[in-house]
Amino acid sequence: MPALCVIRYSAIMTTTLTPWYFVTLPISEYGKVKDVQNQVVSGKVAGTFDAEVVIWVEHYPVFTIGRHGGKENLTVSEDFLQERKIPVIAAERGGSITFHGPGQLVVYPIVNLQKSGLRVPEYVYLLEQVMIQTSQEFSVQARRNPTHPGIFTENGKLGSVGIAIRHGISFHGFALNVDIALEPFQWIHPCGLRDIKTTSLYQKSGFPLNLKTVQQSAQKHFCSLFGVEPVRTGLAGLGKML
Amino acid sequence: MKDLSELNLPQNVLYTKDHEWIDTTKDTIRIGINDYAQDQLGEIVYVELPQAGACLNKGDVFGTVESVKAVSEVFMPVSGEVIQINADLENAPELVNSSPYEKGWMIEIKASSPDEIKTLMDREAYLKFLEGIK
Repeated sequence: MPALCVIRYSAIMTTTLTPWYFVTLPISEYGKVKDVQNQVVSGKVAGTFDAEVVIWVEHYPVFTIGRHGGKENLTVSEDFLQERKIPVIAAERGGSITFHGPGQLVVYPIVNLQKSGLRVPEYVYLLEQVMIQTSQEFSVQARRNPTHPGIFTENGKLGSVGIAIRHGISFHGFALNVDIALEPFQWIHPCGLRDIKTTSLYQKSGFPLNLKTVQQSAQKHFCSLFGVEPVRTGLAGLGKML
Repeated sequence: MKDLSELNLPQNVLYTKDHEWIDTTKDTIRIGINDYAQDQLGEIVYVELPQAGACLNKGDVFGTVESVKAVSEVFMPVSGEVIQINADLENAPELVNSSPYEKGWMIEIKASSPDEIKTLMDREAYLKFLEGIK
C-alpha cells in the first residue's frame, strides 16, 4: 500500500518534536479513564498541553455504547446486567456496543491527527496494524474485514477500533482481546455485527498469555508503526502537566 | 490526504478553524463541512444534526459526522437558531463527501449575533491557517 507508506513517513517527519507520553495504568474503571482522556483533549484543544498521549489500560467489566447508539444490539435485559453489576456507559466514540473487561488490552491514543498528517482512514488502518502485528507475535493470524473496521480471525472478531474526534484531536482507540472472558460478548451483537463471534488470543493460540507481555509487544509495534520514541509517565506525572 | 492545491475551497463562503464553511450571501446562513474536513474523515456513513428550532451558541456542537469507526463533532461557527436541516443526509450521508458545498450542506440558521461573522476566515486566510497546521 504505497500511499500509506508516504503518510507514515509524513507522520514520522512531523511528530518527532512532539513528545509522546505513554501512560500505563493498572486495571481501571472505564469512566475514570474516560475522564482522563477528556482532560487531555481539553488541554490540547485549549493549547495548554501540546504533547500526544497514549493510555494503556485494562478495564473492569463494562458495556459501552457508541455515539451511533447500540442498546438495540444488547440481547439481554439491563436488569440482567445490573444483577451482574456490569454498567452500560455511553461513550463519544464511533461504532456500536462493545464489552470491555479484564484480559483485554485497551489503548487510547490522544493524538492531533492534523499535525500528524494522518487522515482518519489511514489512522484507523495503523491502529488495526498494531493489533495485527501484535497478534502475529503470538502466532495468531488476524486480518481486516473489507466492510467492518477491527481485526478478525476465522473464529471471530479479535480486536475493535472506535475513535472520536474533537477539534482535530482523536481520542478513544482500540481494544485487543487477550484472554478476556468471552461469555459477555454473547449478550450483545458486538459493534452491531449479528453473525460474527468474538475470539481472543488465548482461544486462538491455545496457550496462556500474560496481558503485560502482550501490552509490551503492542507498544513496540505502535512505536514502530507511528515512528515515535515514547516518554513513559504515570497518571500523577500526566496530571501535573495538564 | 489532498495537497492544499487540490482542495476545493470556494471564494464565496467563509471558513472556521474547525473546517466548517458558512455561506452568508442569503437571508439564512447555510453551514456545512468543507473539502478538507470531508477528505480528512474519509467515507462518511452517518450524519447527526440538531432539530429545527434549536438555539445554539457559537462553538456549541451542532452535530456529528461518522466515518469508518470515527465520530467527529461539528461546531456552530456563529450563534443562532436552526431554521432548517438537510434531511437528505439521513439516507445519503455520502453527499457530504461528494458535494460538500451543495447537496451536502448541513444546517441553515438565523444568526443571533451577526457581528460574529467578522471572526470567520475568507479563503485566503483559511489557506494560510491550513499551511500552519500541515
